[in-house]
Amino acid sequence: MAVSRRRLLGVAAAAVGLGASGALGACSSVVGGLGAERDTGTLDFWNLFGGGDGVRMQQMLDGYRSAHPEVELAAVTLAWGNPYYTKLSLATVGDRPPEVAISHLTRMKNLVRADLLEELLPDDLARHGMSPDKFNRRAWEAGLVDGKAYAIPIDTHPFVMFYNTEICQQAGLLDADGKLKPFEGEAGFVDAMRRAKEVTGTFGGAVAFTSETATPWRMFQSFYAQLGGKMLAEDGTKVVIDDAKAARALEFMQGLTRDGLFPNPIDYQGSIAMFANGEIGFFFQGEWEITTFQTAKLPFSMTLFPNVFGGGSYAVQADSHTFVLPKQPHRDQARLDRSLTFVRSMLDQSRTWTEGGHVPLWLPFAESPEFARMSPQSEYASAADSAAYDEDGWYSGSGSNFEIITGSAIGDVLAGAATPQQAIAQMRGNLEQLAGTASPL
Amino acid sequence: MSTQTSAQTDTDAHRGIAPTAPRASAGTLGHGRPAAGFLAPFVVLYLLFIIGPAVYGLILSFTNASLVKPGLNGFAGLGNYGEALGSAAFWSSLWHTLWFTILTTPPLVILGFLLALLANRVARGRWFFRLAFFAPYILPSAVVALIWMWLYTPALGLLDTALAKVGMTPPSWLGDAAWAMPSLAITTVWWTLGFNFVLYLAGLQEIPRDLYEAAAMDGAGPWQQIRSITIPMLGRTTTLVAVLQVIASLKVFDQMYLMTAGGPNFATRSILQLVYDEGFTNFRVGYAAAVSMLFFLVVLAVSAVWFTLVRRQEKVV
Amino acid sequence: MTSTGVTMERIQSRERLFNRICAGVLIAFALLWLLPLLWAVDTALKPNEETTRTTWLIDNPTVDAFTRTFRDTDMWSWYGASFIISSLTALGVVVVASMAAFAISRMRFRHKNLVFWGILAGIMIPGQVLIVPWFREFDAVNLLNTYWAVILPQLPAAIAVFIFKQFFDGLPRDLEEAARMDGASFFRVYRRIVLPLARPAVAAVAIFTFVTTWNDLLWPLLVLSNPDLMTVPVGLATVQGAFGIRYADTMASAILGAIPLVAVFLLFQRQIVQGIAGSGLKG
Repeated sequence: MAVSRRRLLGVAAAAVGLGASGALGACSSVVGGLGAERDTGTLDFWNLFGGGDGVRMQQMLDGYRSAHPEVELAAVTLAWGNPYYTKLSLATVGDRPPEVAISHLTRMKNLVRADLLEELLPDDLARHGMSPDKFNRRAWEAGLVDGKAYAIPIDTHPFVMFYNTEICQQAGLLDADGKLKPFEGEAGFVDAMRRAKEVTGTFGGAVAFTSETATPWRMFQSFYAQLGGKMLAEDGTKVVIDDAKAARALEFMQGLTRDGLFPNPIDYQGSIAMFANGEIGFFFQGEWEITTFQTAKLPFSMTLFPNVFGGGSYAVQADSHTFVLPKQPHRDQARLDRSLTFVRSMLDQSRTWTEGGHVPLWLPFAESPEFARMSPQSEYASAADSAAYDEDGWYSGSGSNFEIITGSAIGDVLAGAATPQQAIAQMRGNLEQLAGTASPL
Repeated sequence: MSTQTSAQTDTDAHRGIAPTAPRASAGTLGHGRPAAGFLAPFVVLYLLFIIGPAVYGLILSFTNASLVKPGLNGFAGLGNYGEALGSAAFWSSLWHTLWFTILTTPPLVILGFLLALLANRVARGRWFFRLAFFAPYILPSAVVALIWMWLYTPALGLLDTALAKVGMTPPSWLGDAAWAMPSLAITTVWWTLGFNFVLYLAGLQEIPRDLYEAAAMDGAGPWQQIRSITIPMLGRTTTLVAVLQVIASLKVFDQMYLMTAGGPNFATRSILQLVYDEGFTNFRVGYAAAVSMLFFLVVLAVSAVWFTLVRRQEKVV
Repeated sequence: MTSTGVTMERIQSRERLFNRICAGVLIAFALLWLLPLLWAVDTALKPNEETTRTTWLIDNPTVDAFTRTFRDTDMWSWYGASFIISSLTALGVVVVASMAAFAISRMRFRHKNLVFWGILAGIMIPGQVLIVPWFREFDAVNLLNTYWAVILPQLPAAIAVFIFKQFFDGLPRDLEEAARMDGASFFRVYRRIVLPLARPAVAAVAIFTFVTTWNDLLWPLLVLSNPDLMTVPVGLATVQGAFGIRYADTMASAILGAIPLVAVFLLFQRQIVQGIAGSGLKG
């Protein structure tokens, strides 16, 4: 009995010893968890990029590493969505934020209101050559909070229209250069879908809405913004849905599934599979899916989301990825310069980033002939100027409760499970509950 | 007789029950000071991290406190409770939690019992069964989630390929609102069954062998023995297993957070995840504290039911 | 005489058959239970590209997925964090709870019943309902993102006090009485006599606390926000997004996350199982 226990303890001690020797490198940081003060001196960068974006971000980070071997860069990719912003907020509240982090433009504003981000002073930005005039104006201005800058945008990622060039060719929708002939208005849109449907024999296009909230919201917001509609006002304390405009957009969307131009039901993966397999002519989604279809060797191209209701004033739902500097427990000028140098290095690699479908905002690249030659990325670049960002509110922004509430109501309309009026009432009811709640920020 | 009684009292004094007889060794005044020293570390920690926070949580639940603002941010009265009780999100989360409990408790209790029963009959290789059933229980939830998300992966996962081979169309395990909760329940049964298995096995080994032998002599078959001896004798174990199971299931968070993030479309958001979402994603600490308090009431109610059951059983036995 | 013999024989043969069926069913279930683990190991030993063909055969066995996991994640830090946090918590719970239990079991003082029931009431309060006030508390004292934030709230474990008290109550007292007569202090009695006798209880509480602390997710997830401070479950839960659809890597990380506890389980199987059976502990 005693012997066996001693032997067990010996084995355990050996195991611990082995673990410790292997963990020597991690040792300092591990023991650091016992102290209240901790600074490893590394440049910690948090992002939320998976898939193709993740691969390209990795290339850009490698680019920075080779140019700045003196800096130890520790990049961490966290699962995207609410968990990411929760972690970022909690780390900052807990005084151990990363030095630089990625945030969606629409989520960044709430981080600012929660007093979690460092203001970026014009002098500091100018010193690193990142003055406001070097950025796309729409995105830069959309990111200001009370006229102050807190975020450096790297891209706009709009909702776009993918089209299968072979199917559109057969449907007679392409021009002599093999590009989609622009169509406008409700009739133009429906006509294009109908002609694609005649070719495929199944459906004309697809938009995902089953078990999916962001996509239906993005499509609705694009139409609704073209009509000039607004959802929220006064920092989200008022719900200002315009019934007539919302109903018009919703009725149009419902017609697409009702008349069999779009499939119903259809989830995100299913819609991708349909387009990737060449079963439909049009596909509506964020531009980031470009990598998926390139990998699938599909004959396709991309263009601006159609202008159905806008007439002279085009609009399309979009958001931007931005670099932010979470508030550090101690201010430090050298640290700030290191962070800004890093951000600048990312902007200088805008080309790599643009390959993933995102619209570049860094004018030295966005206005270059190099970008103009990039196809199909340059086809929808003007979306950045007409971006309709989600309106401000403590519960708003990409992947937020706001998008879940609106997206599920809109999804019900597409599924034929609710009338536009019912969906509007549902959205208004749920949003007003949030709008009436005192902002925790 | 009289010496026996005094010995009895002596032992009782040691156990702290009615310290009546004065004792020479420790003096008559009790051990107030050394006792305080022994109790102090626990009591201080207990006040700092259980009682204090419980009271603080109760106070927070009546305020508009925010994660990113100092102080209590103004009193809300009963506002948070009113909001919770009037909100669809609260009731649906509570229902999801109960639905998960309903889906997991019966299979975990019944399967745990049956497998322990079988293992108890098998003379050899019991270590193997204990390993097979108990090993998953020792794993972190994150490991379990990674393995099962891979099993549930549409088209490529082991489950889908196996079902496709026998010509069945598998559902979208975690993606379909109707299937997501049962899928999480299956994972949970696999994960935690070992705990109940071990409890039942221990209970079975306490049943005297001669009871079975006597029954066998009377011509009772195995099935009759189980019905007339095993099940009644395990009554207390079953109460314990069932209540521990219900409480553990009510506190579910990990599986949903890791495997579905409460989705699709909030169809699997549990009450603890609502606390997490409201308190730490939306920063609404006051409201999250109120939801925590309401959840605490539910757990208390279940515990109260358990006490009543145990009391009744003790009276019967 | 003969008739009883025949009956006994029939009963015995019936019982043998029944036992055999039992064993068959049990083995089937055990294999079913092992299947997910085996499949995880199987997947982890394949190259990523070959994981999408669902077959048990491993054409090109490789441990690259494990090497990559160590290279691309802070796995060693996570092991270290989990080990430090779990060990300190187990040690702390044993010391604090056994001392309190010793006082309740062996000493006479005023309001003892009140103290004991006050402590027992703590079993009723699940830690999960305290996460919000805890977070504010640790934020206020600037201890978020330290191991202390994970360790301290776990230390006042009422259930451990209860287990120790039950165990101490059942120990013989002759030795302590003699020691007390000789003028030994209570601390000496506790440290030199009672604790060594209570080794099984100490082992059960320590191992069980170690395992539950190691596996805890919700609270460490909230307070450990930095990847190099995370415990194994928090790290796996947070950084999993980074693996994308590389199934071999994902399974390798899951297996690496599981290994320390599997080792603990194999080493202390008896204590763990007895601990559960004896007290019905559950997180």
